[in-house]
Amino acid sequence: MGGANKVKNKLGATVYLRRNLGKTMPLIGVIILAVMLIAGIVSLINSIPLSIKTIYSYSRNYVAVTPRGNALLTPLLRKSIEQGSPVEIDRLMVIRGTDIEVKSIVGNWPFVVLGLEQSDMDYYLKRMKAKVLDGRKPAVGEPEVMISEKLARNLNLKLGSVIQKPTDSDNYSPQEVKVVGIAESEFWFAFGSVEYQRENHFPPIDALLVFAKNPTDQKRLDDWTTATLKGENARVFTYKELEIQADTMFNILYQILNVVIGTLVVVITLMMGMLMNIFLSQRVQEFGLLQALGYTKRSLIMRVFWETTVFVIGGWVLGVLVAWGLLNVVKVTLMDPRSFALDTLDKWAYLYSLPVPIAIFAVSILTVFAKFKNFDPVGVVERRLV
Amino acid sequence: MIDLKSVSLIYQDHGKEVFACKDIDLGVQPGEFLGILGPSGSGKSSLLYVMSGLKVPTKGSVEWLSRELGKMGDQERAEIRLREFGFVFQYPFLIGYLTALENVLLAFPAEDRRADAEKFLIELGLQDQMHRYPYQMSGGQKQRVCVARALLGSPKVVFADEPTASLDHKSGRAVMDLLIQNRGDGALVVVTHDPVMLEGADRIIRMEDGEIAPKNA
Ligand SMILES: Nc1ncnc2c1ncn2[C@@H]1O[C@H](COP(=O)(O)OP(=O)(O)O)[C@@H](O)[C@H]1O
Ligand SMILES: [Mg+2]
Repeated sequence: MGGANKVKNKLGATVYLRRNLGKTMPLIGVIILAVMLIAGIVSLINSIPLSIKTIYSYSRNYVAVTPRGNALLTPLLRKSIEQGSPVEIDRLMVIRGTDIEVKSIVGNWPFVVLGLEQSDMDYYLKRMKAKVLDGRKPAVGEPEVMISEKLARNLNLKLGSVIQKPTDSDNYSPQEVKVVGIAESEFWFAFGSVEYQRENHFPPIDALLVFAKNPTDQKRLDDWTTATLKGENARVFTYKELEIQADTMFNILYQILNVVIGTLVVVITLMMGMLMNIFLSQRVQEFGLLQALGYTKRSLIMRVFWETTVFVIGGWVLGVLVAWGLLNVVKVTLMDPRSFALDTLDKWAYLYSLPVPIAIFAVSILTVFAKFKNFDPVGVVERRLV
Repeated sequence: MIDLKSVSLIYQDHGKEVFACKDIDLGVQPGEFLGILGPSGSGKSSLLYVMSGLKVPTKGSVEWLSRELGKMGDQERAEIRLREFGFVFQYPFLIGYLTALENVLLAFPAEDRRADAEKFLIELGLQDQMHRYPYQMSGGQKQRVCVARALLGSPKVVFADEPTASLDHKSGRAVMDLLIQNRGDGALVVVTHDPVMLEGADRIIRMEDGEIAPKNA
């Protein structure tokens, strides 16, 4: 590097910051804490809808239809789907379902144990991109289930564990239903023998799972089914509907979050603004001297501009790194063991923390402009000011 | 080199006009040592700041090399102060978080004069202070660093406003000697209330109530 750079280093943006750590460290500390707090809160709150979408993401692979009001309608629904579908249907399963509960950081959510025909089980696994890790598929008519590894972790189940039993009203079955197989998959699922469910569970309603031949057509099939069966005696379950529910369910929570974060930003900015003001006032002598020596106001304002830029960007980057680090610790120690979803790279969480450095930057630049507006360096070197 | 024509500087003090300088005609010749003597409040500092473009006169004109300072923009005046002038003030103003050497280098924000500055500080007998911070130096040492800052780069005029007032006599003398001996071809304008400090001046004018007293010493 040439000489010019060396000179820039002398009064570079970091000299003041580096040599006045007693002043700059607490300020950077506040930015780090604020960024960390905001990014942390937002990603933890975002993890709730993310969890819901993750838990029910299996529904991306098919559209489920149940009759309403009349259990005998299923064959008719089946017929109208088979005849009218705009995309090629690869398989249409007639199934049963019973309820269990899964855990999330905001309490329990209902989940379904499907009752499948033996002939549908392999196909189901294939469409869930699942690989059997351990055990086997449920046998005909037996109180047995195969579950995905994520569900197993969530409910702390192993081969041989009981997933439903007569004494548990939330996870009820008249016999003890045992886990006989665990499969690796990005999706959460549980299925048992449809014969067992027909024999033991109420109400006796057959539901339909409809798989598009081409997975990329599934959304079209979903939309068509939703539109076609609208107003019929049927209920249609699609991923899209779930997504909308998950996103709107927390509207009020998000509004509260916005108010909290807005308040936090205002409070922190006011506090930082006052501190910056004090520190800049302490430098009036420096700026007066330099101006008297022949530095222009512009160059001094630019100096503060660069110092502040380095300072707020540095603080924000450090804050993001610390937040990311802590979120990873939370994810590994608290979330992963129960398959709770948490996105440690949630871009919204980090974007939400941006108002902190931006507001602090704006306040310091405004302060500097206000200070320089009617600034007389002679007042400084004559010691009339200061 | 510097020409003041009927220069007045008026301050408003509680609605009352105060003439800090009143109708002053004065020139500074290249290379001369000009002393400005006068009691406190007589307008010496005001005159110095008007001459050096730090203040714009209320009336009259100040020309630097035949160009009127008052008609230039702030930026251009600042440029002249930075390149052509050197300043020493009453208090030894140094930036607290920079070493003596770095403070001296402030005179050259755009160029690398580190080697020159080191050489110059050694020449001025300030090698021991070079890497010290202001809080590690005495008042006299600091003021000598300020002199080095003013003289680095051989400015055409060095302005010193009571450079010895905040120092004891011995340190004051040392500062004055440093200024006088190292100014090279540059003119030196020194404001003081202490005639002893103007020993060796080419010319001394006396200020009284904002005016130049009729008989010059
Ligand atoms: N900023 C100012 N506002 C009002 N009056 C001032 C100001 N600066 C100087 N004066 C007045 O101008 C006169 C000359 O001041 P100054 O030039 O500082 O004198 P000296 O340097 O000889 O002590 C004094 O009466 C002083 O009170
Ligand atoms: Mg004075």
